[in-house]
Amino acid sequence: MPRSVWKGPFVDGFLLNKAETARGSGRNEIIKIWSRRSTILPQFVGLTFGVYNGRKFLPVQVSENMVGHKFGEFSPTRTFTGHSADKKAKRG
Amino acid sequence: MARIAGVNIPSNKRVTISLRYIFGIGPTRAQEICGRLGIPDERRVNQLSDDEVLRIRELIDREYRVEGDLRREVAMNIKRLMDLGCYRGLRHRKGLPVHGQRTHTNARTRKGKAVPIAGKKKVTK
Repeated sequence: MPRSVWKGPFVDGFLLNKAETARGSGRNEIIKIWSRRSTILPQFVGLTFGVYNGRKFLPVQVSENMVGHKFGEFSPTRTFTGHSADKKAKRG
Repeated sequence: MARIAGVNIPSNKRVTISLRYIFGIGPTRAQEICGRLGIPDERRVNQLSDDEVLRIRELIDREYRVEGDLRREVAMNIKRLMDLGCYRGLRHRKGLPVHGQRTHTNARTRKGKAVPIAGKKKVTK
């Protein structure tokens, strides 16, 4: 079930300040954030965020299409390298 | 035989049933269409007058997104997710379930038929 509209999008408040200062000052700086749960707002478009995935900050360049998604969606937390082809099968 | 919304040729079934052969029209919409045009439930497609067929066709053309258009829209939505690089898009790309289901077992619909692990020995007693 989606979130009620009357609540508005969920964003951690400090992100707004961070985004604003980033926009005001140095350009194209990666803003490191841990708040994967926050919704991407229209005012974040064009900025680059480093979204923490538990190990690294993955750079996410926010585009218009991303508005409404959460930051966490763009920073996968799991690594799956895939199953390698079995060596035995090749020999046999 | 009646052609409605392009390629669909429903048979000698009831109208509410045969309309569901159109991609994008299920039980609810089939009922809705019949209700709005005043077609009784037990009428069959081959008993429809030409005028009624025409009105069904027009109503569907005007107010519902069906067949190719709908398929295209769905494909576009999926493509958007894939291009975005978000989690749901990745799942679509890999052909794995998107809505958080388990993949340890099951998920066969998305993953396709099970492939046996090559070279795995069968347990024999």
